[in-house]
Amino acid sequence: MTDMTRPGLRPSRIAIYGLLILACLVYLVPLFIMLVTSFKTPMDIRTGNLVALPTEWTTIGWTKAWSEACTGVQCEGISGYFWNSFKMTVPAVMISTLLGAFNGYVLAKWKFRGSDLLFGLLLFGCFVPFQVVLLPMAATLGQLGLANTTPGLVLVHVIYGVAFTTLFFRNYYVAIPDALIKAARLDGAGFFTIFFRILLPMSTPIFMVSLIWQFTQIWNDFLFGVVFASGDSQPITVALNNLVNTSTGVKEYNVDMAAAMIAALPTLVVYIVAGKYFIRGLTAGSVKG
Amino acid sequence: MSQLELRKIRKTYPGAAEETLKGIDIDIASGEFLILVGPSGCGKSTLMNTIAGLESISDGEIVLDGKDVSGVEPKDRDIAMVFQSYALYPTMSVRENIAFGLKIRGMPKEQIEQEVERVADLLQISHLLDKKPSRLSGGQQQRVAMGRALARRPRIYLFDEPLSNLDAKLRVEMRTEIKKLHQRLQTTIVYVTHDQIEAMTLADRIAVLKDGELQQLGTPKQVYDSPQNMFVAGFMGSPAMSFVHVNVEQGEQGLQAEVQGGDGRSLKLPLPEYLADRVGKKVVLGIRPEHITQPQDQKSDQALVTTGEFTIEVTEPTGPDVIALIRLNDTNVHCRIDPEHPVTWGETAELMFDMKKVVFFDPETEKRITG
Amino acid sequence: MEQTQRRPAGVVSAPSRLLDGLQRWLPKLVIAPTFVLIGIGIYGYMLWTGILSFTSSSFLPTYDFVGFDQYAKLMANDRWLTASKNLAIFGGLFIFACLFIGVVLAIFLDQRIRQEGAIRTIYLYPMALSMIVTGTVWKWILNPSLGIEKLMHDWGWTSFSFDWLVNSDLAIYTIVMAAVWQASGFVMALFLAGLRGVDSSIIRAARVDGASLPLIYWKIILPSLRPVFFSAVMVLAHIAIKSFDLVMAMTAGGPGYSTDLPAVFMYAHTFTRGQMGLGSASAMLMLGAILALIVPYLYSELRGKRHD
Repeated sequence: MTDMTRPGLRPSRIAIYGLLILACLVYLVPLFIMLVTSFKTPMDIRTGNLVALPTEWTTIGWTKAWSEACTGVQCEGISGYFWNSFKMTVPAVMISTLLGAFNGYVLAKWKFRGSDLLFGLLLFGCFVPFQVVLLPMAATLGQLGLANTTPGLVLVHVIYGVAFTTLFFRNYYVAIPDALIKAARLDGAGFFTIFFRILLPMSTPIFMVSLIWQFTQIWNDFLFGVVFASGDSQPITVALNNLVNTSTGVKEYNVDMAAAMIAALPTLVVYIVAGKYFIRGLTAGSVKG
Repeated sequence: MSQLELRKIRKTYPGAAEETLKGIDIDIASGEFLILVGPSGCGKSTLMNTIAGLESISDGEIVLDGKDVSGVEPKDRDIAMVFQSYALYPTMSVRENIAFGLKIRGMPKEQIEQEVERVADLLQISHLLDKKPSRLSGGQQQRVAMGRALARRPRIYLFDEPLSNLDAKLRVEMRTEIKKLHQRLQTTIVYVTHDQIEAMTLADRIAVLKDGELQQLGTPKQVYDSPQNMFVAGFMGSPAMSFVHVNVEQGEQGLQAEVQGGDGRSLKLPLPEYLADRVGKKVVLGIRPEHITQPQDQKSDQALVTTGEFTIEVTEPTGPDVIALIRLNDTNVHCRIDPEHPVTWGETAELMFDMKKVVFFDPETEKRITG
Repeated sequence: MEQTQRRPAGVVSAPSRLLDGLQRWLPKLVIAPTFVLIGIGIYGYMLWTGILSFTSSSFLPTYDFVGFDQYAKLMANDRWLTASKNLAIFGGLFIFACLFIGVVLAIFLDQRIRQEGAIRTIYLYPMALSMIVTGTVWKWILNPSLGIEKLMHDWGWTSFSFDWLVNSDLAIYTIVMAAVWQASGFVMALFLAGLRGVDSSIIRAARVDGASLPLIYWKIILPSLRPVFFSAVMVLAHIAIKSFDLVMAMTAGGPGYSTDLPAVFMYAHTFTRGQMGLGSASAMLMLGAILALIVPYLYSELRGKRHD
């Protein structure tokens, strides 16, 4: 539907480009500020301004954020929490995606009496505000001895992520014709053979969507991290928040910004490398809300 | 080759108010080509899925070579199916598609290769074996789908509207091809279509379904010439049979019925003797286009043939014929006109009615009145 | 004939029958774990929280029931009322601004723009960031002494003053700013996808009828994007009601509790102030708000699908 305007340099085109570029600046400037501030000295920050380049480039903010900055009572930097986040994110993403793939396969291709109801319950689960499950979950994790542990967080993220991954895979598999499954059944293939030999080879795009969506969701999560983890098991988002909002000592904005960059880098890299799938996940997610 | 008996097949979907299949009884002989036809929603695809074992039945028996297979998994029924959408595995090459079922059944590698070659030769798709289905045309995909079924050498072949996604020309070609294959391999085939020309040209026998009930089971000729009810009569044939309500009267030369043309002129049509007990009652007269033509000398003196003048309302040239529309007793009726002696609309033409092949139905039960 | 060498089949042995039975149960077995987890983790816990909201639980759950007391207390609680009012301001502005910016950018981007892919990537990247990161950056940008105010002073606008972040009447708007910055690109992506799906023959027909481009967008294209509009509102409202991270990172609810949102209120009362009953009641009200939004939406969605 773009075939109505002939590209040319008419005033209206210039206005359109002008506005689009202005918007680009608005979206980019915070990232730029974050970057330049992280490379400044505290002195530079006080004398210069937000968008000025550092008079003297230094990585002191980054090294301090990584290994010395105080997050609450401890002053060991955020490196430990960064790895915590990986230890939590990777298994949670894997497990929730695999579960989602199988669930989606069943709900799309092996419907049984009541399976649509189950799907409805799951769909509704995507909408529930997590505040409503926090307290009982905390109690349960305590009972299971998983309170304040990374496995506990993995479990939480799997439970509340699987609704989304199931939705992704179910919607993807629904679009695959049933006749394909019937043909495979007549060819003698069973439940798992059909999944692994027929559907799985066609599923790369939706696996990418699910992996990337789950990765950004779980990496960026703050609520579960702050409620279900403490001290050594906290994820990076909680540590970053503690670091930034610690009221003791002099505020070092270069360290804050370097820490924010460190927390943002994994998801930014994923976005730049596989943005296509990220957008697909977002728009697919919009069906669910 | 195998023989299949469907005994009182009933199927109700969970939660559905009405039965989808209401006791279907069909015996299919070994090597027979049986076609299931009917309007959409008549249950023909459901019936096919139950034969394949993809859907369970609520009641009845499916007997394959003397054994009840109703509870047997599809993979153990040894039945192959060709789908409307072809259902080729998109990530596999043509070769892998054909070999998949054989591999799962544990056939040795060399034997699989032989089978693939045999089938590819038979269907002339050898040059496509290493391509992915997405790179094939519709007709080629169709051949691969058939190849996948043939490679398995199953007991029964099921075809679910296999030609309906092809364009008109290719459809006719593949129709011939399927007929040739059947004549060559003498396989048992159950074939679903909603295209009555496909049914007429391919079938050994046709089963006409409506609302989950078998309306008629017979050879194409039986179904066409002696339809058991108005539904079958109207469903088979193109242009469709016309139905005219008439009164049976006793005339001087036998039974007759008076019909009124669109312009008020009327004609007395001779009726066969077996309608004697209907004198004074209404019947529905079912007449096909080829029964109303221009007068032909060699026929006009025969019994049950008469001529009359009617105003032509519309003409539709089809090439070999011209289909003309006249009105009889306020009903549109199609006639078949020789294109060499065309008529134009508004014109009055002399038409000959050959009542020998005309069929009659009871207006209440819609069943054919037999002699 | 070629068919004579076929293998005997249909002979089903006993172990195979057993396997078939297993096959029939496999789909249910495979999804069972998920539904146990969901059943407990969502529905069970929802019920549990509901029960707690009728008790006088403080630091630990107790089960002496007090009826609707907690809800009554909540309705009389100043902080809760502020949080609710903030949600209305925040949610309303956030949704409106995101929609407006998203639609405008999507329409402009739909005019055969060079480097469209790159521009789209730039608009959307904030969505990949954690709200904590976003909050940290915006807190720094809006810093009353060293942030944007100083920048303006350096650039010669010495009378410029911007202290919204620490002004209890205005702080909530800084949160709106950051949230819009983060989510508007997403709305743009939704609408751009919608625009690409509009049947171009409709637009050609309108052109033939002599309609101008702005008129075509206003009268034909945007109305046909109603479903996109509804999904966008759903997603944004959902983000707004659940908003927690951004407030925690930027103001932690302050100054005072002027930027509290229900999610912050719930967290504070349940986990730091030892008022579990009250916290649970607030969580249930949040659930109620989402239900009021979701149920009609889901209902119309499912009904619409049934018509297809």
